[in-house]
Amino acid sequence: MTHSLHRIGAINDLKGDYVVLACLAKGINRDSPEGRQGIIKIANIIKEHEPLNMIPEFTWKISPVVTAAFTDINEVMRVIQALKKEDLGISIVISGLISEIQAALKKVGLRMHTVHLSLGTFGKKEFLPNEEEILEITTMCGHHCISPQSVLHHLQQIKKGKITAEKAAEKLAKPCVCGIFNTERAASLLNKLSK
Amino acid sequence: MLIKESKCTGCGTCVIYCPVQAITLIENKAVINRDLCVECNVCYQNADCPAKAIKLERLKWPRVIRNPFSSVVATHKLTGVPGRGTEEMKTNDITNRFELNELGISIELGRPGVGTLLKNIEYFTLKLSEIGVEYENDSPVTALIIDDQGHVNKEVKNERVLSAIIEFKIPAERLPEILRVIEKADEELDTVFTVGIISRIMEDNSIPVINSLEEQGFEVKPNAKINIGLGKRRVKEES
Repeated sequence: MTHSLHRIGAINDLKGDYVVLACLAKGINRDSPEGRQGIIKIANIIKEHEPLNMIPEFTWKISPVVTAAFTDINEVMRVIQALKKEDLGISIVISGLISEIQAALKKVGLRMHTVHLSLGTFGKKEFLPNEEEILEITTMCGHHCISPQSVLHHLQQIKKGKITAEKAAEKLAKPCVCGIFNTERAASLLNKLSK
Repeated sequence: MLIKESKCTGCGTCVIYCPVQAITLIENKAVINRDLCVECNVCYQNADCPAKAIKLERLKWPRVIRNPFSSVVATHKLTGVPGRGTEEMKTNDITNRFELNELGISIELGRPGVGTLLKNIEYFTLKLSEIGVEYENDSPVTALIIDDQGHVNKEVKNERVLSAIIEFKIPAERLPEILRVIEKADEELDTVFTVGIISRIMEDNSIPVINSLEEQGFEVKPNAKINIGLGKRRVKEES
């Protein structure tokens, strides 16, 4: 999965957008009881730190990954600190601004191991929505299950005063089953687009 | 996916959920364009059709292949791996899949939100196989490549999916050859695609590939996925 890699946006917007992911390794700890216990433990640690959004709890017992969205790098740092202390041996990936994550890791005595960089989008970009903000919203579901016309529909509802941007962001999040859609950032973008 | 015309009330809720705009209202009935539909099930799972008019269809080969390349929860029968991609760098601190002198490359066709015909995979794999790359074994895209030349199974070429990720690795010094392929595809391909580069971090915390990419005219985005090195290989778990 490259699911959280190609989120787009201005640096100031990305400063409030982080994804934490824990992943079991096939053939190593994916099918072991220790691996499963570990991933559930990690899910509980993440939950204690009150993420904005998170993969549903029923998946913790079956999924090889646990995912969550955060808006504050300092909270992400506290999650990393707690995971380091537990020393569960399970791989952790943080998505977001490289400089911010690097600084957070330094503060807790860790360093980056491997990075997945984005070179962005190529090809027939004329097929994409005209408004950058719509793409900023839809790319927050890395599997691209959130449609641009759904964003436009909810935008119209906001303009008509039928729904708040916050409520619209919650509705838009529904197809993103990984729980990494940042509803706070989406609401801010919807507010901006509706004016 | 099917919409039962006799039940549809034309409310249009499903229309807005479709990620590839395959559903339209025609004479107050929702109609699915079967060529465009990628079988992602997003409409079925999220529209809460008040008339229960959306029905899952028992898909036959080769159309059935659309579902695992489009639905988040489906598992590829070819590889037994759920989702569109693999563990790639996410577990690299345990697997050492990518070593210090290697780069991983992910090219995701159809993303974001445009979709792609599987024949577009072959555009890349013919060129990449000629260069000589090491495809990721667990990737469902690799399972569609039928020979050393990089041809894709012709039975699936005209199937449309939400996205498909070509995953491979190369020795770091061969990056320029891959970048030339990406530049050419940028001009020629009839869909969108995203590109990701996986690199280990050097002992001094540097990421030399960023300089190489920028020197060759590629912009590296300020956000990335970062494996923070907490994964450990433990003998007891492997036994």
